[in-house]
Formats: sequence, structure tokens, C-alpha cells
Amino acid sequence: MIIALLILHGLLAVALLGAITHQTIGVWLPAHGNAESFVGRMRAVTAASYANAIIVLYLLTATLGAIIYPAYRLNVRVVLEQMQLYWQNGAFELKEHFVTLGLGMLPAYWYFWRQPLANELARARAVMTALLALIIWWSFVVGHVLNNVRGFES
Amino acid sequence: MTAARSLPTFTIAFAILYLLSVEFNWALFTYHPALEEFGLLAQKPKDGPAMYWYGWIATSAAGAFVIAAAASRVPAGSASRLRSGLAWAVPLAAMLAFVYILRGYFTK
Repeated sequence: MIIALLILHGLLAVALLGAITHQTIGVWLPAHGNAESFVGRMRAVTAASYANAIIVLYLLTATLGAIIYPAYRLNVRVVLEQMQLYWQNGAFELKEHFVTLGLGMLPAYWYFWRQPLANELARARAVMTALLALIIWWSFVVGHVLNNVRGFES
Repeated sequence: MTAARSLPTFTIAFAILYLLSVEFNWALFTYHPALEEFGLLAQKPKDGPAMYWYGWIATSAAGAFVIAAAASRVPAGSASRLRSGLAWAVPLAAMLAFVYILRGYFTK
């Protein structure tokens, strides 16, 4: 059951990563004129259209993470400590706190992205999106490293 | 201030309260995963590790909700631009604080 939830957690994280990456590129590097290339089309996305999906995906991914967290605490963290894998443990601790701060950011994020978009919130909207992208990318990479850690440093 | 305008206040308060909750272990409850038991407030580990993370989130969310609700009664004024800036600056500062607090993991 935990394995199935872990896989689902990972799949939701992939969807979330894609959505926040598109939105961040769309808001920081918007395309001007016709977008014909792959990168150009990525820059031309309507950033606002991702906001609600990102909130739902973030909540679902974090909730699943919270459900499987006790199994990690009992079975994985102990092994990391025994193997003296300090930075891997620290990276997860940071992930835990960053994800929580991201949860707390979601209400303001929703407010900044609600329609019609307020011009005076453009900077806050862009920075908040970039911060969430940083949190999601960090969490995704750390999750993968820890999932594979016994394979490359045991 | 409307309820929606108080959402950035929630974010600011949540980040501060979460940092304080972790630093001073203000967990509203503790989870003992080996026993699958919950206990009120921060408790010592029993037969395995104790998990405070859920309790820290509960403390921070409850406190931030109260602060945001109180802020929603204050008339909207010129502080709204400041509040929008703080809504990302305070969580960013909290993230940097956690990097500092946890630096020992990366220097061993």
C-alpha cells in the first residue's frame, strides 16, 4: 500500500512540476509575437490558467506525502542515520520545511492569481510563483535522490 | 479589509509561526508512528521516534487563521502593497532561516 501511495505521490509531483514550470516560464519569460518553436510555445502559455491546477496538485501531493511520511520516518530515516548520510538527511529536512512554507503560501498565491489579474500584484505574483517553483523542484529532486539513495551510496 | 485581502496576511503569519513552532517545538499535537498514537502538545518519544511536523503545521495554521481573521476587520489602506511584498519576502526569509538552522547537516 505504501509503495502504491509513493508511486502516486511521485506521479502527482511530476504533474505539479510540469504545471509550475510552465507557469514560471510563462510569467518570467513571456513570448512576444508568434511562438513556433517548442521553447517559444512553452513561453507562450497562459500562465494564469495553471494557478488552480497547481493549488489542487500541491495539496494532493503534500497530503500524500504526509500520509507516507511515518513510513519514511520509521524505515528510511533510521537507515540514513545509520549510514551517516548527513546531507541526504538534511536535504529531506529542508524539503519538509520548504513544502510546509509552500502550503502556507498557497492562500496568497491564489489571491495574487485570481481573476481579473491585478496589475499592482504583478511583481508579487511573479516572485511567489518562482518561489513555489523552487520549492517544488527542490522537493522533487530530493525525493528522487532519497528514493534511490541505497542504490548509489550503500 | 475583505476576507480575500487577508490571505497574504495568513501567508506571512504562517511562515513566522511555523519557524517559531519548529525552533521552540510548539507542536499542537505529537504523532508516535511506531505506536500509531496521537498525543496532545509536544510529547517525548515513546517506543520509537516522535513526529512533531503535523503538530507544527496545526499550530501555525490555527495561529495564522486567527491573525488573518483579525486582519480582515482592519480597513484596507496603504499597507496593502507592503503586505503583498511581505507575502513572498517573509516565506523566503523563513526558507533561508531553515537553511541556516540545518547547516550542520551539510558541513559534517
